[in-house]
Amino acid sequence: MARNKFDVDEQLESPFNFQNLKKCMVYVSRYKTKMILALALSALGSIIGLTGPMIVQQATDVAIPNKDMQLLFQLGALLTGTILVNVGFTAIRSLIMAKVSQNIIHDIRKDLFDHLQVLPFSYYDNRPHGKILVRVISYVNSVSDVMSNGILNFIVEIINIIFIIVFMFQVSVPLASITVAGLPVVIAFILFIKPKQRRAWQQVSNKNSNLNAFAQESIEGARVTEAFTRQKVNYGIMDRLSEASKKSWLKAAYISNTVWYTTETVSQIVFSLVYIAGAYWLNPMATFGVLLAMGTYASRFWQPIVNLANIYNQFVNAIAYLERIFETMNEPAVIEDAPDAYELPAIKGEVEFKNVSFGYEPGQRILKNVSFKAKPGESIAIVGPTGAGKTTIVNLISRFYNIEEGQVLIDGNDIMKVTLHSLRSQMGIMLQDSFIFSGTIADNLRYGKLDATQEEMVHAAKMLHSHEFIMEMNRQYETEVKERGGGLSQGQKQLIAFTRTLLSDPKILVLDEATSSIDTATEKLVQDGINVLLKGRTSFIIAHRLSTIKSCDRIMYIDDGRIMESGTHDELMAKKGYYYDLYMAQYDETLREAGA
Amino acid sequence: MFQLKWLWKYMGEKRWMFVVGLVLAAITSSILIINPMLSQKLIDEVITPQNTAMLIPILAIMMGVQLLRLSLRYLMVVCLETSSQTMMQKMRKHMFNVIQNEDNGFFTRIRTGDLMTRMTNDLDMLRHAMAFIAHNSVDSIVTFVAALTYLCTVNWQLTLSLLAITPFIIVVTRLFSKIISPRYVRLRRKLSDLNTVAQENIEGNRVVKAFAREEFEKEKFEEKNKDYRDYNYGTSVVGVKFSPILDLLSQSMTVITILVGGVLMINGQLSAGELMAFSSLTWALANPLRNLSTIINDLQRFFASCDMIIEIFYAQPSIVDRQNAIEKKERLKGKIEFQDVSLKLGNTEVLKHLNFTVEPGQTLGIMGSTGSGKTTLINMLARFYEATEGRVLVDDVDVCQYKLNDLRSSIGMAMQDVFLFSDTVDGNIAYGNPDLPFDSVVQYAKAADADSFIRRLEDGYDTIIGERGVGLSGGQRQRIALARALAVEPPILILDDTTSAVDMETEQYIQGQLKDLDFSCTKVIVSQKVSSVRDADQIIILDEGEIIEHGTHQELIEKKGYYYKIWALQNSVDIEQPDVGGDQHGAQ
Repeated sequence: MARNKFDVDEQLESPFNFQNLKKCMVYVSRYKTKMILALALSALGSIIGLTGPMIVQQATDVAIPNKDMQLLFQLGALLTGTILVNVGFTAIRSLIMAKVSQNIIHDIRKDLFDHLQVLPFSYYDNRPHGKILVRVISYVNSVSDVMSNGILNFIVEIINIIFIIVFMFQVSVPLASITVAGLPVVIAFILFIKPKQRRAWQQVSNKNSNLNAFAQESIEGARVTEAFTRQKVNYGIMDRLSEASKKSWLKAAYISNTVWYTTETVSQIVFSLVYIAGAYWLNPMATFGVLLAMGTYASRFWQPIVNLANIYNQFVNAIAYLERIFETMNEPAVIEDAPDAYELPAIKGEVEFKNVSFGYEPGQRILKNVSFKAKPGESIAIVGPTGAGKTTIVNLISRFYNIEEGQVLIDGNDIMKVTLHSLRSQMGIMLQDSFIFSGTIADNLRYGKLDATQEEMVHAAKMLHSHEFIMEMNRQYETEVKERGGGLSQGQKQLIAFTRTLLSDPKILVLDEATSSIDTATEKLVQDGINVLLKGRTSFIIAHRLSTIKSCDRIMYIDDGRIMESGTHDELMAKKGYYYDLYMAQYDETLREAGA
Repeated sequence: MFQLKWLWKYMGEKRWMFVVGLVLAAITSSILIINPMLSQKLIDEVITPQNTAMLIPILAIMMGVQLLRLSLRYLMVVCLETSSQTMMQKMRKHMFNVIQNEDNGFFTRIRTGDLMTRMTNDLDMLRHAMAFIAHNSVDSIVTFVAALTYLCTVNWQLTLSLLAITPFIIVVTRLFSKIISPRYVRLRRKLSDLNTVAQENIEGNRVVKAFAREEFEKEKFEEKNKDYRDYNYGTSVVGVKFSPILDLLSQSMTVITILVGGVLMINGQLSAGELMAFSSLTWALANPLRNLSTIINDLQRFFASCDMIIEIFYAQPSIVDRQNAIEKKERLKGKIEFQDVSLKLGNTEVLKHLNFTVEPGQTLGIMGSTGSGKTTLINMLARFYEATEGRVLVDDVDVCQYKLNDLRSSIGMAMQDVFLFSDTVDGNIAYGNPDLPFDSVVQYAKAADADSFIRRLEDGYDTIIGERGVGLSGGQRQRIALARALAVEPPILILDDTTSAVDMETEQYIQGQLKDLDFSCTKVIVSQKVSSVRDADQIIILDEGEIIEHGTHQELIEKKGYYYKIWALQNSVDIEQPDVGGDQHGAQ
């Protein structure tokens, strides 16, 4: 799938199917008992509510004409009693349903979030993050009411309708038939409008998603926008997206609102027809009582239908969101434990690539038949031009992508066959982008080892010389850092990310440009720390500054997805090949100067 | 309540439609009361006397009234939806504009997840207020008042006794509002928290996987998720303490009607028909009262959201154009001067008494240890911070005197933390200059040595880059950022450690390109690498916000200070000839 951007509507690959409906029911049925209880309370409440008019009738027909004050007050007390019970039931039902609806959205959100944790990088890389976020928060919120009260009311109304139909047919079959005959008209209309309506709400969710994606990216990139004074252009884009969102919403609203319009109109026509038929066409003409009763029933029959139409509208709206939610939930994990995956035993540190070829997309070849073997404790530097495949190699060691051709073995275990958690939790990977979470410095350091003691943490920080600058901050280790490490310099972020990686005490260490933003003087100190820490760990180091890798046990020169050269610094220098050229390029000017 | 006034004020050009919508709501609610009267007529004139003569006319009138009501109601929906959408769009654009011009302080105060909640949830609440709460309230009020007026004309004693419950209703409503209001404010905050955790998780998905911290993240989110659920439920519980009281009070009207009405009737002060009128209209009094709890809930939620919007709406960036800002007439020459510049952020002195001058076309190199203030210094040039003391001058004019747009569009910045947008490569390079012809885009990509790898991408310059540039290597990102900075053809070019992730050959190529750009520009190069700054006309070394060394490469080498030390470190092999390979030498 092509990468999505903010102004491209997401395609919905799977049309809404019953699989999704089933999935909905999974969430609902967890609270089946509670919902049935609420349903029973609703039913009881309505039955008790029905007695109300009977009591009033008693009062007006019997008590008042007879001037029976005592009976009047008794009836008043009785009425108060039914109201109390009814209100009580309603309150209990609200409580139950509040709990159910909150639980349902909590569950959906939890499952959605949990699933997001297993989705591969490519999922996150292929769409603006705002589009993911909006599903987790807004969309889930939007469906909450429908998934609980909507379903319950739907059932209640259906039951209502069935009861009234039974009553109606007992009073007069022909008149009841007329009343019910309106129903197919409404259903036909709904079926006719449904595809348009669904499409319209899908558009709404698409346009909103685009809008949110753009808004979120603009917030995160505000600094760049300001530096490039692009506010006006962005404002124009926002205007366009916002307008599209408005248009799509209005269209959906206009279409959806025709549903109640039609339903109520049909109901009024039916009401008239009942009277006309009763008065003219029926032979003999319907009696006063029958007409009166049918008139009442007709409106009582149609009220729940109007309600149903409204609930239905909410459903159609919610489905547009549910589709998106389930689409994400159905997204294949891609990188997951094999069915018979086993725990990778404690790593000794041997890493072997056996004829590995790899590309991020089908047909693409970033790595071409790469083979090498690292001994436990060995430090291996990977050098080469940008885009040569250095990061890809280290990405594969931690199985951030599936290895489809060839094998990567750790201590002889094919990493495709071990559990992801056992693999990654024993590795320390320092990525190019040193992402810092909001929270305290200590929180961030402990990300590497959740139960690290203060001593361990400070020790690691001291080894890597992040301790110094941390101590200079206003609350030292308890200093709050902002989102993405705002307030820290790039070098400081790297030092924290570095410390966090080493705190996790990994058996295999991957450093991808770990010190690129750290100044050389600090780097030198850090390097000393690293050398101590590297002991006994297999490590892979990508760096452009060759000074940082010269002391590695082995240097591999990668170009165009192949290992072109491999050996120690001295060996490669003696060979006068690619590495030699690279090295000489870096020191060319220095040499010139030294010679001068 | 000031929130309502505020919303009214900023409703936008479709406010008249909102008013029309509410008028229509009032009309249609009144019609709803007329309908039962027509039914009454049907019974009285047609069914009771068994006289079909009036049947068709009455039915026709009922049909007509109903159709009129429905059509007006639909029109109301159109009016309210259109006006609320227009308001929302206007508000959103305004907020967007505010956010786009905000400074650092703002973004550290309000996190992305929180801002996003405001742009989505809160804006939608405003829309809901206009499209629903407003007409729901009008419906209730009109129905109540219309029924009350009518009933007053029927029998004022009974009406008065029905009204006896209103004081209780008022007390309960007030209490309810007071108790529920802070809960919605907190609930709203919890939603922001939830949003923030999710947003950070999505942003940091790579780190989460690298540390295999999925379970930890799940727990972190679950905590917020549960918290939000429980608080939401707790709020419902509070609601359930009050809404039954309102329910009970409103339903008690039926009891009052038959009791008081009955007594009045027995005493001969009320006729049967009048009592009938009362009992058939009790709903019109009771329903609006029952509806009160919904309205209060909605309103309080609206207030909570509205406060969040207002906060953004009125947020003033601290750095704005001065009133007497000068008009820039022509392209800047690019002279830079720091006159005794100091900067305090919070309580820390980040920069101290900086003094230096860079002539147009010259190159300034800046080096220094991590956190020494290098990035802050260049940010002052673009006036992202204003000097606490001293002045920053560009072309001999204080940067604070320029219009922000003029100043910043004269500066091309390639920032350290490369932020690329999820757009095409072409769109990213032309970010600061969207009208740039494609040829120039390629030209600058070539200067940044990005052309060759861009052409190897799937769709070349039309390849969409993932958010923040994922999918590209660090070096590739930096080169696109560099091309982006060059593409504005700025008189001042700032490169903040732009080549840290590119290899030597590429860097040398780029340096060569920078030397002969086809526009004149002053360059400021921040770097950790001596090789990047050694050819600069002057180099300054920062340490804890102070210039500790200043001079040319040659001068600084001779000085044998910090610069010399770094130079020596980076070229250690040629100077010290250490034992390469170390003790693990011999590994195959």
